[in-house]
Amino acid sequence: MILLQVIGKRLLQAIPVVLGVTFFTFVVLNLLPGGTAATLLGQNATPALVHELTIRLGLDHPFFVRYFHWLGSALTGNFGTSLTTDSGGGSGGVTVASIIAQRLPVTAEVGGFAFVLALVFAVPVAVLAARRPKGVIDRLSVLVSMIGFSCPQFIFALLMILIFAVHLGLVPVLGFTPISAGLWSNLHSIILPSATLGFGIFCGYARLLRADLVDQMNQEDYIITARAKGVGPYRILIIHALRNSMFGLITVVALNMGTLVGGAVIIEQIFGLPGMGQELLQAINNRDITTVQAIVTILAVSVVLANMVADILYAVLDPRIKYAGQSS
Amino acid sequence: MLARVPESPANSAEISSAETLVPDASLLSERRSARLLRNLELVLPVAGVVFVVLACFLGPVIFPVPSPSGAGLAGSMLPPLSPGHIFGTDPLGNDILSRILYGGRVSIEVGLGSCALGFAVGGLLGIMAGFKAGATDVVVMRILDVFLSFPSLVLAIMIATYLGASELHVIWAISFFSVPGFARLARAHTLRLREQVFIQAARLSGTSDRRIILRHLVPNVLPGLVTFSFIFVGIAIVLEAGLSFLGLGVPPPAPTWGNMISVGQAYLGSDPYLVLIPAACLFFTVTCLNLAGDALRARWSSA
Repeated sequence: MILLQVIGKRLLQAIPVVLGVTFFTFVVLNLLPGGTAATLLGQNATPALVHELTIRLGLDHPFFVRYFHWLGSALTGNFGTSLTTDSGGGSGGVTVASIIAQRLPVTAEVGGFAFVLALVFAVPVAVLAARRPKGVIDRLSVLVSMIGFSCPQFIFALLMILIFAVHLGLVPVLGFTPISAGLWSNLHSIILPSATLGFGIFCGYARLLRADLVDQMNQEDYIITARAKGVGPYRILIIHALRNSMFGLITVVALNMGTLVGGAVIIEQIFGLPGMGQELLQAINNRDITTVQAIVTILAVSVVLANMVADILYAVLDPRIKYAGQSS
Repeated sequence: MLARVPESPANSAEISSAETLVPDASLLSERRSARLLRNLELVLPVAGVVFVVLACFLGPVIFPVPSPSGAGLAGSMLPPLSPGHIFGTDPLGNDILSRILYGGRVSIEVGLGSCALGFAVGGLLGIMAGFKAGATDVVVMRILDVFLSFPSLVLAIMIATYLGASELHVIWAISFFSVPGFARLARAHTLRLREQVFIQAARLSGTSDRRIILRHLVPNVLPGLVTFSFIFVGIAIVLEAGLSFLGLGVPPPAPTWGNMISVGQAYLGSDPYLVLIPAACLFFTVTCLNLAGDALRARWSSA
């Protein structure tokens, strides 16, 4: 029952935020200078042609009419047709939904792989570091995460390319091989971008998990009990402390969705991956506002949803958290 | 949420004052070296930041460097340590040192500008929302949540495209991210302070809201915001570099570290210095800011 209340409450909080996101995006995109129709027509735009296209695209309707029209279609999964592929106007263009269906898997694969890499490395590093706070491994891990926080992802990406692709020649410099062309070559083409994205979040996870583990080891009674019973230090860390520290990590994982998604834009550009980020930049340059609107909406909604899921998971997993009427 | 008894600051103050009363030679010297180390942790990164700022703003005035743009193609792609061009020249023949210094100005101005806006506007909004609570709080925070739901770079890309490429517009674009960030932080601090005895005492003695906010809340929220400022300037500099790298920042003939890296990307295989030099400057600056922020946080949370 309490769980249902938590879910309901978070959904109610999320709805206005999602609406706000779509509305703000719509406002910004509709204010883009130059006018959509004129930009689409390019050099040979005559006032008559611009006027005609404006009407055909429905851009002559009042702002709020267009927004609610868009919102209504978007709720049914219809994001309209991409303006740049829609040369004749009307129904000739590629639907935005089909573009996204092509692009989303690439971004999701790279992001998912990055996330797995980050987690696989962060947990052991954090455990080893927490075993001896201020020991060699701990200091090293602090140093590495400091570097990770300070080094912009695109610089890290270029360094990776310089070392692994240019000098060592282990992987291709850019380009994407779909999974249908073989798992191995697919992994080959996404390992560098995933490692780049993953390194940033690895640093966050490792640092947070380490801090939380150290706190648990110093303060919690159940750790003292376990010690008194003669449980070995690694067993305490992994079986006892880690289980509790994972709660904190879950929230951060969700909050990282934004970093992951934002990073994808720049990483895909550098590595030439045909994902959502690359499409977003192209669409922005081409003033393809229907595509931009759809992509930004999907990215922002996924961040909101991730935050919501984190809150709910947090409540499910840690029975000590009570959402009794108050939100902090 | 779990109610955890906060560590009382009075307690630790008592202990340290007790220690000073009993002079112990070994303890004293140990504490002196520890204090020195603690000071260095703050002084070194701050000195690094000051060095970057002075180099970029005063450097070109004191030691004349060639113009950062508009040189001839004759002397292009000179490697670092060439005579007259200590960092070499770029594909258009411009002196890289000069571009680094002028580009650094953009980074620092954008970082400070968007941070100052976030600090002032966001900080005040957050304190008001936290203090007033109720409907004001809900409405303000929901609106700010909208902006925080955008991945920061995506939001900046959108706004920078809409406004058009210029330094001022980049500052505006990043402020859409800094204001909600600072507001959320200020609100969290305010919520914690609001229930404390000295605020309640002020309220009971009939102090006006305005005075409580200005005299009691603001001074106590400031340390947290200042610490975050250091880190945020770093974030903003990275965002600016990202925008420039994507070609959405300050437009090309003017140098920025981001567009220098972007230009160098094409020559990564043959002339990596084109990327490595601006990348190193970016990294150095942001690392100093982060270290300074961390040191300040450690100092103020234990003081």
